[in-house]
Amino acid sequence: MGEMTRGQYADAGTSLDFKTGNWRSTQRPVHVHAKAPCHTACPAGEDQQAWFALLQEQKVEEAWKSLVSANPMPGVTGRVCPHPCETACNRVHVDGALAIHNVERWLGDEAVRLGWDYPVAAPAKDAKTVAIVGAGPAGISAAYHCVRLGLKAEIFEALSEAGGLLRSAIPPTRLPRGPLDAELGRILDLPGITLNLRQRLGRDVTVESLKAQYAAVLLAPGCEKAKPWSVQGAVPADLHEGLELLRDFMDHGALPDAAKGDVIVHGGGNTAMDICRIMKRAGAKSVTLITASGLPGPDTAPDDLINVVPRELEEALEEGIEVIDHATVSRLIMKGSKVTGVEIIALKKEPGKDGRKRRVEFEGTERVVSVDMVVPCVGEQVDPEGYEGLLDGAYFWPDNAGGRVAERVYALGDARGSRGTVAAAIGDGRLAAEAAAAELRGEDDPSADDRSTIGIDALNTAYYAGASRTLVAKLPVSERTFEAEIEGSISRTEALAEAQRCLSCGNCLACDNCWTMCPDNAVIKTAELAMDGSHYVFDYDYCKGCGLCTHECPTGYIQSVPETN
Amino acid sequence: MAPRSDNSKRLNELRMKHGRPPAGPNEPKAAKAEPTLREQQPRFRGLESGHRACQGCGEALAARLVMESAGPDVMVANATGCLEVFSTPWPQTAWRVPWIHSLFENASAVASGMEAAMKAKGKNTKVLSFGGDGATYDIGFQSLSGMLERHHNVLYVTYDNEAYMNTGIQRSSSTPHAASTTTSPVGAERMGKRHLKKDLLSIVAAHHIPYAASASVAYPADLQRKVRYAMGVEGPTFLVIHSPCPLGWRHDSALTVEIARRAVECGLFPLVELERGALTNIMPIRDPRPVAEYLKLQGRFAHLFKKNDYRAAEELDHLQALADHNIAIYGLRGEGTDPVDTTGVAQVRRGGPLAGRN
Amino acid sequence: MREALEGSQAIARAISLCKPDVVAAYPITPQTHIVENLSKLVADGNLHTEFVSVESEFSAASVVLGAAAAGARAYTASASQGILLMSEVMYNISGMRIPLVMTIANRAVGAPLNIWNDQSDTMAVRDAGWIQLHCISNQEAVDTTIQAFRLAQETELPVAVNMDGFVLTHTMEVIDVPAQAEVDKYLPPFEFSRKLDPANPVSMGTLVDPNWFSEVRHSHHAAMVKALPKIEEIDKAFAKVFGRASGGLLTVEGDKKAKVAILAMGSVVGTMMAGQDEFKDEVGSARIVKLRAFRPFPAKALRDALKGVEKLVVIDRAISPGLGGVLGTEVSAVLSTMDNGPKVYNYALGLGGRDIQASMYKDLLKAIENPKAPRFAIFDADLKKLPPEDR
Repeated sequence: MGEMTRGQYADAGTSLDFKTGNWRSTQRPVHVHAKAPCHTACPAGEDQQAWFALLQEQKVEEAWKSLVSANPMPGVTGRVCPHPCETACNRVHVDGALAIHNVERWLGDEAVRLGWDYPVAAPAKDAKTVAIVGAGPAGISAAYHCVRLGLKAEIFEALSEAGGLLRSAIPPTRLPRGPLDAELGRILDLPGITLNLRQRLGRDVTVESLKAQYAAVLLAPGCEKAKPWSVQGAVPADLHEGLELLRDFMDHGALPDAAKGDVIVHGGGNTAMDICRIMKRAGAKSVTLITASGLPGPDTAPDDLINVVPRELEEALEEGIEVIDHATVSRLIMKGSKVTGVEIIALKKEPGKDGRKRRVEFEGTERVVSVDMVVPCVGEQVDPEGYEGLLDGAYFWPDNAGGRVAERVYALGDARGSRGTVAAAIGDGRLAAEAAAAELRGEDDPSADDRSTIGIDALNTAYYAGASRTLVAKLPVSERTFEAEIEGSISRTEALAEAQRCLSCGNCLACDNCWTMCPDNAVIKTAELAMDGSHYVFDYDYCKGCGLCTHECPTGYIQSVPETN
Repeated sequence: MAPRSDNSKRLNELRMKHGRPPAGPNEPKAAKAEPTLREQQPRFRGLESGHRACQGCGEALAARLVMESAGPDVMVANATGCLEVFSTPWPQTAWRVPWIHSLFENASAVASGMEAAMKAKGKNTKVLSFGGDGATYDIGFQSLSGMLERHHNVLYVTYDNEAYMNTGIQRSSSTPHAASTTTSPVGAERMGKRHLKKDLLSIVAAHHIPYAASASVAYPADLQRKVRYAMGVEGPTFLVIHSPCPLGWRHDSALTVEIARRAVECGLFPLVELERGALTNIMPIRDPRPVAEYLKLQGRFAHLFKKNDYRAAEELDHLQALADHNIAIYGLRGEGTDPVDTTGVAQVRRGGPLAGRN
Repeated sequence: MREALEGSQAIARAISLCKPDVVAAYPITPQTHIVENLSKLVADGNLHTEFVSVESEFSAASVVLGAAAAGARAYTASASQGILLMSEVMYNISGMRIPLVMTIANRAVGAPLNIWNDQSDTMAVRDAGWIQLHCISNQEAVDTTIQAFRLAQETELPVAVNMDGFVLTHTMEVIDVPAQAEVDKYLPPFEFSRKLDPANPVSMGTLVDPNWFSEVRHSHHAAMVKALPKIEEIDKAFAKVFGRASGGLLTVEGDKKAKVAILAMGSVVGTMMAGQDEFKDEVGSARIVKLRAFRPFPAKALRDALKGVEKLVVIDRAISPGLGGVLGTEVSAVLSTMDNGPKVYNYALGLGGRDIQASMYKDLLKAIENPKAPRFAIFDADLKKLPPEDR
């Protein structure tokens, strides 16, 4: 007990003796680095928020390095990915999603142009070597991540060139060969990666022989075989499957004669879209896509939406492709063994008794259209040769994230039944490499990132400047060819401006709001002490738990959690 | 006048005599420990932690912001009220500047005396005077007017939480129309306060003082700019700061700033600056929002959202009309995108607020 | 230097000699001439002070509070209604132990409106915690004012110097105005140990809870009690420099052996002394106790001064309706612990400026010869002027 001071004066700042922290009754603020929705949505596992944060600080090369820590092929994915990150972007609810893929592409191209080094070191001389089957996006990503994790990688590719479907199934209008070759070349040149061409599994090597010789085997053969297609048992004699047609066209530049007439493409993926556009450009009278999925619209459920790159669909429509959605081919009208027409019926995916969605055809909606050619484009499957005993039906179905199908054997990329995008293949490459590395170290599978995802409700959008999405130039329809890239690139200025639009969902912006607005001076600014990536620490001795900082945190990085005291 | 060292010696003798150990600029200080993180904060902590304001107190926030911009070469005369009570329960004080509380109604006069003393002593220390709306709009109104008329070099800041909160939420002349308080309760015959909020800022500006302005805790950068501007003015200056009171307005303590922001955005609390009585600046509202969006978050206006009560609809329309009137007379409707409008001034980017940067 | 000065003018000169940093005052009869004279001194450049022309007595007191707290020598003056308006601030000034000086030009308190002299105003704030000194002449008022500044800063208590309105404030007397050099020698520069200072910030006027409030009050009371010897000491020190004292806590005039005594404060003491000179042959001599310090109250000195007195007339210039005179009641209380203390006759007179002639000396002494003399009365009230039911 002190003594009463004359006139009851008190010395400056002595209120620090009174710890108001014990007023917190229900909640306390904490820093929570939750996942940005772009990151959650990215099949390749990129943390777009993280590299945009670096771009916001003008650290362009660091941004690229952050990006390629997950995805070594931004120049590719920036061109071909359907960018679910943009669909998930919280800025959709403000003034339009970030142009993530444009900036990603620009970063990839800058890295090539300026020769930035990948952030990996050469593996040790005695590092273990992992065998990788297939030099498509999954295999190359796996090789890169092996090196990143200190392993060596040896790739076995059946064809004479690396690239897989990037080369065989994606037209140069979407993915010009220059950037593709440059990016793949830079990865394959990394120390620790060896590429063996013209080595086909089942013919030149086997899973068993690889397994005996290498520390682990990663299988990334892709899907080379078209799914069998027929309508009520009828198959036209001159049937050309979509992917095959696409490969032939890209190899030889020619299409069958029937492609000059009215063409129906049956399917709903990027290959279907690519073949529609190529045929139209090559002179087809009309090209109609028949798809069981729905077109984008305000009421389209995400699992009903046609699985194509949105801008590809947009461009296809610009180019005069017609789309009949929620429909399927119910009957082929044949003249001899030649198709002359198709019957189309409306259908939709409806939940059945068990709640799972199934296709329901609506009787009475049948109509007949005359056609010259029908191109099925309903997907591909793994060529089973050499994978006996590992496949489950047409695909690999591993039940773990890393894709382990047997001891030291992993499956990745399109060959896994649940994949279907380049980004997913790249993501698989990383996951498989990480899982294999863990297995080789005798560790458990790497644990999944189970952090929650920040939604728009967790943000305080009052603090963001309004800015509309960067518009990117496209070749006008009349100037589109089979070669020229349709979507243009963006400038450094545009990329940096776009980066400023990032809301930094779930991560600290260092904006000072919490520091500025705490009525109790209980937020302390520090770059040094905050180990969690924030720039502030809470002084729980004084924090009363009012929740103001949580509400005013623009990014949702501050969350109120139940008080445990 | 005796030389400074003599004065200092004398002062220390006096201090010893009156039971106060020597301290001050000319005396050797005890060896200081390594500064704590708190002590290293890159801002002046005029109002320190450990004060006993309620959770989410708008007034505490406002006072903290004012002190950061005004200190440390200031002294404060503080009227009776929440700010005074929660900051200085003996033997503690949250203030790090010379501070005095005398009475409810005399802060302006005490500040006048302090300022006269500084003038007499040839010192430049700026005198601040703080009061709530009760102390300013009502009981201390006369002494405020006297201080302004006599042109004392004092910055008067009123923390406007729109009722007598310290005594338990009684209406003041600053309480908005239709707000429910314990002395303007809602009942069969009444829909909250019958009268209008006093337009004190205009009255103050009519004293022809160099600077009078309104600010809000929702816009700290703007608030602090106004404080800094006022600090540089020789003569009386006045700042009224809209400071939500979670307890008195009956809202979640996390919503203090949100509510303050909406008050500005709907036009009920216009942010304006007046110099020598003339309007010189306003904060334009980029997208005026309906008053209901401001009112509905607060329990004191809950009766305005009662279904099937024609009086509720009428009072709601009345408040909307008052907001529209403010927007009209001050010309608050923004034109396009303005970096200093209600939307622009709040914006942040990585590394800090946008406002306050050039 | 001896000059013929009006009382208010003399006070203004005394204030000027004390070099206050800040003066704040609001005009009220009969204090007005003090403020006017000070304003003129400032206007003529003879007094360098921040003169704050406030909009009320309330603000006057508040301004000097703030000024003194900020380390300035501060002065104000008021009377009557003004004192009552200040009363809230007066409690505050003393509660924070802020040293400053005020002149009270004593006047009645309305209603009815009355601008003339009695001491109701100062009695209304007797519990405000100030040192209250009373003067019987303008010379004493000048000297006491100078002493008051030294007293205030040495005790860290506010001091009110009382002088009767009109009777003193508006009366010309020849005053020995002290020389500036001598005042400077007597009165050290103002310093306040707890002053508001950014280099050493403190908070004043804090909230004190019940666990500490009794101690706060005790400390204030103790400070007042300790001020008793200070008042005497500072008066003695004044006499050393200027050759005359003002009467310490109290002085005994007239026949120091008399068994009858008259006790009073303010100018009426002079009237009684004149009355004794004139009427001692008729009614005999009395001890005349000139009480200078009303707060702190000099209980022991008073008991010593009244040893051997059988009958004591206490002249009151203010009453507490329903009880009696304020001073008389307090004197009675103090004498209650005295063995063989005098019988106290408490007579209020001269209320609201009613003239007190020297003959009152005779009237008072005659009145208490009557064994049935009332122990309290408004002595000069003519009840015939009242309707019977109000008598």
